[in-house]
Amino acid sequence: MFKDWIVDAAYALQTSNRYQRVRKFFYNLLENSSFKYKRYFDMTMVLLIVVSVSVLIREVKFQVPAYIVDLNTYVISFIFFIEYILRFWISSSISKIIIEHKEKDALLDREFNFSLALFHILKEKFRYMISINAIIDLLAVLPFFHQLRLLRIFILFRVFKLFRYTRSVQTFASVLISKKFEFLTLFIFSSIIIFVSSVLIYIMEANNPDSEVKTLYEAFYWSIVTISTVGYGDITPTTTESRFIAMLVITAGVAVLAFTTSLVVSAFTEKLDEIKDLKSIDDLRKLEDFYIICGYEKIAQEVCKNLVKTNKLLILDEEHSRIEQAHKDGFEALNYDPGSVESYKRLHIDMKRQVKAILCLREDDVENVYTTLTVRSFNKDVFILSLLMNDKNRKKLEFAGVNEILYSKELVGLVAREFVGKPVAFEAIHALRSELNNINVEEIIITQRIAQNFTFVEELVHRKYRLLLLGIYKKEHKHFFFNPMGSMILEEGDVLLLIGNVSFIKEFEQHLNKKRKK
Amino acid sequence: MKKVALVFGYNDYGAQIAKNIVQKYEEVIIFKLDEDEPRNDMQEYKVEGFDLSDEWSSLDNTYDLNECVAFCVIEDDAENIFLTISLRSQFKDLMIIALSSDKESANKLSMAGANKVIPVVQTTAQMISDRLDKPVVTEILHNVLYETSNLKVAEITLEDASYFNGSFPAQVEWELDYNIMLLSVIHKDGNQEFLYSAKERHHPLEDGDSLVVVGYEEDIKFFKKRIGVTK
Repeated sequence: MFKDWIVDAAYALQTSNRYQRVRKFFYNLLENSSFKYKRYFDMTMVLLIVVSVSVLIREVKFQVPAYIVDLNTYVISFIFFIEYILRFWISSSISKIIIEHKEKDALLDREFNFSLALFHILKEKFRYMISINAIIDLLAVLPFFHQLRLLRIFILFRVFKLFRYTRSVQTFASVLISKKFEFLTLFIFSSIIIFVSSVLIYIMEANNPDSEVKTLYEAFYWSIVTISTVGYGDITPTTTESRFIAMLVITAGVAVLAFTTSLVVSAFTEKLDEIKDLKSIDDLRKLEDFYIICGYEKIAQEVCKNLVKTNKLLILDEEHSRIEQAHKDGFEALNYDPGSVESYKRLHIDMKRQVKAILCLREDDVENVYTTLTVRSFNKDVFILSLLMNDKNRKKLEFAGVNEILYSKELVGLVAREFVGKPVAFEAIHALRSELNNINVEEIIITQRIAQNFTFVEELVHRKYRLLLLGIYKKEHKHFFFNPMGSMILEEGDVLLLIGNVSFIKEFEQHLNKKRKK
Repeated sequence: MKKVALVFGYNDYGAQIAKNIVQKYEEVIIFKLDEDEPRNDMQEYKVEGFDLSDEWSSLDNTYDLNECVAFCVIEDDAENIFLTISLRSQFKDLMIIALSSDKESANKLSMAGANKVIPVVQTTAQMISDRLDKPVVTEILHNVLYETSNLKVAEITLEDASYFNGSFPAQVEWELDYNIMLLSVIHKDGNQEFLYSAKERHHPLEDGDSLVVVGYEEDIKFFKKRIGVTK
């Protein structure tokens, strides 16, 4: 009966949308660094820690108002306690474990073993409770029991909670952990030296009335101060033998220090790319309206140079040397395979919100088809432009879901035709496109604001800015009106095509936005 | 003698160029190196073999090379440069259009005597960035340039500028009076000037100036008729 009730409750919780939503919210808030509110939560917790420790420091020599002490003892401790409980709750799902056990038993046609499920639950929860972070969290809550004066010192453990909320400290720790074997070796070596030298110095100095070394503890203290190359000088060896030991300890100390430094440096050097990548991924979350460039070969390099003037870019390439080149060229680039769904998951890219378009610019149709299919497998809407290297593969790219294909060989054919047909016209248009003489063709989109300011084309006064209005592209009709009549009505979404000096075009755009209708 | 296009390069570039220019020339001849594999898409053209060490004397005897245009589109840059320099050393007045894969070989091709170099990487990259940054401009200009819309770009060389009575380009009401737009004026000395650049008031229209105008075909014809241009 009791077992049935437990199983029913587990299923109810597991299938309750509301419960799962709340649980997911707290999971995101406490553990998911890509969750937008986590940052504010972390900042609040850091602030509470700073307040808490500041009160403790102030209390050492000064009288602190009672309400502040109460705030520190009760309110902040209570908040930390709630946090501890929440973390304990989300560390593992009790209902999920019960259901797993129930279904497993049902599958094997045996009675539900509640004891085993309970053992599993306790094991999971206990595993969480003995984790370092959980212990620190618990110790940070203990000052709540302020009657035990000693427990107040545990406020200091709140400082350790900072580890949870600051990414750089976590990164530093992860770098050091990557060299744990080397550090362990160093620790054992140092421990042996310290132990042997402490014992030796104790034997040689303890019975000498002139020596400050009276106990093994003092010998141990001397060894550590010496091996660390600090050398306070409060305890010094007095006999020739003990000075010889001191020389050995000092030599070992230099070696230990050098070894430690080189370990930390090499760990950071090895992890540098990873740290940079983590930083880039973190920055990526804030980026909006950017292009993803897949592949960084010759054409992609040129495209990036052109686009970076007015756009934000992210280059993805699985080839490390090409990513290095992209970094040298000053672009944001990550060594991730654009043809892998996993890459986009790890980068936490929100295609709908963040990405303007994906450019498949590998000079290899197979790679471009593969990348397109990868993207289309999880997003149907993002705009994809792809290079085509062999016309035979055009249909494959289209079938994969590319929105626009650019075949460079066809382009060369068109350029050649125009050049031999109308060389002067070709050069004139080419000059317009390439901003030679600072003259350019620009498009200005008629926004709601501009449409409110200007009703008819004749009101635009573009001639005053020495601009040529080549025409208006009416988005609604998908038609380009060359040399539009003055009586043409301007509508939101229309695009003006203007030829003229780049700075005059900018001034004109400002004028369009400034003017108010009378 | 016939007006002929000589395409040196039995490859995709050669095929695309031949396809695009076939209507502008009386004959398109594709030149292939011995090692080039046979292709199906070039069967409609005359294909001749060539060797980079050729002296080209037979070409000179067969075609009026002043009226011909040569496309050097071999995919190997070094061979393409060698071919260009070889043609230029033999034919001073031949129009040579060459393909380059990057800026470095583009410079070398110009030094070797190519009249026009098409840098594939830069041209493709420019087209991609234009399509993304200015999609409407790119589409309109593309359609105008490659004649897929009613709008055309025309070069009109003034035979008798007296029609304009010494006017400066900016003083003429191109849009209102003729429904065309003047993009630029190429003066007799070869200098290109955009209508709305600062210099336009220093140079009135003269005989021999070329006007680059954009407009509908009918309007351009009408304009030419009005100003007495016969070509």
